Amino acid sequence: MPVLSRRSALALGIGLPATMTLAACGGADGAGQAASGEPQQGGTLTYLEPQTWETLYPPAGGFYPNGGVLNNITDRLLFQNPETLELEPWIATDLPEVNEDATEYTFTLREDATYSDGTPIDAENVVKNFDLYGAGDPDRALTVSEAINNYDHGEVIDATTVRFHFSAPAPGFAQAVSTINSGLLSSATLDRSSEEFGPGNATEIIGSGPFVIDQEEIGTQLTLTVREDYDWAPASFEHTGRAHLDQIDIVVAAEDSVRVGTVTSQQAHIARQIEAPDEPQFEGDGLSLHAASTGGVTNCLSFRFRDPALEDIRTRQALIAAIDRQAIIDTLFTDSYPLATGVLATTALGYVDTSEHYTHDLEQAATLLDEAGWEAGADGTRSKDGQPLLLTFNEALPQPRSREVVTLIQEQLAELGVDVQLLPGDQATQDAARTEPGTLQVYHSMVGRADYDVIKSQFSSDNRDALLNGHPDESVGDEELDELLAQIASIPEEEGRAEASAAAQARLAEQAYVLPLFEEPQVFGFIDAVQGFATESVGRPSFYDTWLAS
Amino acid sequence: MHYILRRTGGALLVLVLAFTAAYILLAALPGDAVLARYGNPDLGLTAEQLAEIRAAYGADRPVVLQYLETAGSFLQGDLGYSVQSGAAVSALLAEALPSTLTLAGLALVVAVVLAVAIAFTATHGSLRGTRLTHWLRGTLRGLPPLMVSLPVFWIGIVLIQVFSFQLGLVPVLNASPIQSLILPVSTLAIPIAAPLAQVLIRSIDEVSAQPFVAVSRARGASTWWLLWRTVARNALLPTLTMAGLLFGELVGGAVVTETVFARMGIGQLTAQAVAARDTPVLMAVVVLSTVVFVLINLIVDLMYPVLDARLRRTGATAPTRRATVTAR
Repeated sequence: MPVLSRRSALALGIGLPATMTLAACGGADGAGQAASGEPQQGGTLTYLEPQTWETLYPPAGGFYPNGGVLNNITDRLLFQNPETLELEPWIATDLPEVNEDATEYTFTLREDATYSDGTPIDAENVVKNFDLYGAGDPDRALTVSEAINNYDHGEVIDATTVRFHFSAPAPGFAQAVSTINSGLLSSATLDRSSEEFGPGNATEIIGSGPFVIDQEEIGTQLTLTVREDYDWAPASFEHTGRAHLDQIDIVVAAEDSVRVGTVTSQQAHIARQIEAPDEPQFEGDGLSLHAASTGGVTNCLSFRFRDPALEDIRTRQALIAAIDRQAIIDTLFTDSYPLATGVLATTALGYVDTSEHYTHDLEQAATLLDEAGWEAGADGTRSKDGQPLLLTFNEALPQPRSREVVTLIQEQLAELGVDVQLLPGDQATQDAARTEPGTLQVYHSMVGRADYDVIKSQFSSDNRDALLNGHPDESVGDEELDELLAQIASIPEEEGRAEASAAAQARLAEQAYVLPLFEEPQVFGFIDAVQGFATESVGRPSFYDTWLAS
Repeated sequence: MHYILRRTGGALLVLVLAFTAAYILLAALPGDAVLARYGNPDLGLTAEQLAEIRAAYGADRPVVLQYLETAGSFLQGDLGYSVQSGAAVSALLAEALPSTLTLAGLALVVAVVLAVAIAFTATHGSLRGTRLTHWLRGTLRGLPPLMVSLPVFWIGIVLIQVFSFQLGLVPVLNASPIQSLILPVSTLAIPIAAPLAQVLIRSIDEVSAQPFVAVSRARGASTWWLLWRTVARNALLPTLTMAGLLFGELVGGAVVTETVFARMGIGQLTAQAVAARDTPVLMAVVVLSTVVFVLINLIVDLMYPVLDARLRRTGATAPTRRATVTAR
């Protein structure tokens, strides 16, 4: 019988003081603030999305159009307060009991919660959920949830008690169950294949959330209606009972100017992804912007140090000194995009300020390049041993204005004789190049997630491997970095995880592996009739408290 | 009969070639549909997990084998499943087709009306007199080249900005079926009308210079009678040929129009499939467009003898487009 320690449970993944502010609000009123007046019930909210959703299978639901739906139709065992990042009860009546080495988690479930098809959320159903999310099912092309590590199996203790077993310490599990990737679904829904979670099936995806998918027009519109008997919202929300809105129309409007114009001309209530150049249009009367922080790893450049061009730390330091980040933000972005002060966002768990490593100094950059042996040739391009200093950047298609960012960097680095090229191509091309050694020297990306593990996800050779520290032949360049990152996801106590995270951030900064550019927000623009709009911890819309002022 | 058989054989050949070429091009690009969906770093899958999913989709087999299998199931009428969404491609097409047909059909009608109106007015005999009418005539003749050089994308955005956002005449959302068609149809009609009008103006000019027109006029035919009964019938053939060729423009225009106006349809489906490298959907769209393109051109060819008595006399020898041109 393992020893269950309640204290370690409370200490898990739960944590930084509530002193951090959630949103970097760009000069406009942040939503989620106390709304003016008494909330009114009823009305249909029109919400514009730039892209259509692809799947409602929660572990694959990270893509914002998917997550925006999942967050409103599913509940989770725990709720992560987006402001404090602390975990709170939701479908579980309390935080889980966890054993010493974080390999067993025991949750007690509330008894009254049901799915919209009437079936209860009982122990058997919850175990079925996590047995699928934790292990995946390749035969049905259903993937494992990225946030759940070392999952072994779930166990039904009694009707309202479940225990999850892990093959190795899984300190991030409590946080993982609070994300949209762990949205609970009815047992019948869990039997569906990957295809059956896709477009055309939306109305058959049954969750227990405050809204239910009522109608679907493939590729263009999704209609969510309120669930009248919903009565298990987390305590942190402003109200209890059913949601204020009667209905939400999620409409796809791919073209930026159309999305912006539809809201500013009061034809829709709210739109996601307001690009930086369009933000000024929301400065007028009756319009607001909400820049939601996405936590996690900032929008940054990863220097692939195993590539011959970037092997020398002085070369990487030179690039950091040569790139003028402030100029990039001033030229291309707005106040909604704060200059990054470290590889993690200031709102992320475990954040450490490493800004001293990122100083813009052109002279220093030139000196460092000289020292590293890169000599300027006749055409101005530097080279060493006959090899020109040529760096290929990817285009981070999901990130804002990646092409423009790289183009500006191209101009900035050209002055120092560094040749920058942008890899053209669609997402599949970019993904194929991402893991191929020698194709990309600099990788532009970000990850939004509110847990300690996010830095490991981005840089560990076992996960996204942004630095290409691990090559396909399974060799690892910087073992020390990998070890530090592994610790973050395996030390059972929160303190130890924070320390490991700080050490990993320091290593990334000291070795000049990354150049953080800015903290990437999710920017929503809306009309003032929209009250009480809020986002979850990674910036996905949460419409439970939202209401429409007449 | 022999002619129709030959044309059908040719059409099938075009279809096979288009299918194969599209398949080769898609296969030659780095990455594939499975990678586009599951290789996304957001899912955080390891290389082994990706390999398992590739195997489940059969994407790890040789390209030739996959090609033959796809071709085989297409022949049986099975269009397969979208890799991106998992939905049956036939269901996606069935959902998207009616809306695109309405849009494209109406746009074509509007474009033809617009082109005829511009061409007839610009070439109308009574516009030759005064300085003002001369100026009007020049303007009208300048219109098609202007319209042809406007990108569909830009037209759509400008129309939305002006008529919906500024003037509030037509809502973008929650519009009635008719309201929701006004701006997209106009957007699509303008670039289609332009080349039609250009060709029509030129052939009216050419036909008007023919001696028989002068004879008709000398015998007292009114300007309109001349235009309708003598000139238009003769000027129609090149325009008809153009209309057949314009189908390509219609497809391309639909992609852009549907994206800008957020309308569901084949265009929007194509745009999303291209972004996701969704091979089954793209192949189905290629086959569908090719079939329609071939059919339209076949119909156009078959209509020549109906419209032009001179082509009927050739009897057994098949009318071809070159023949119609020389006959004219």
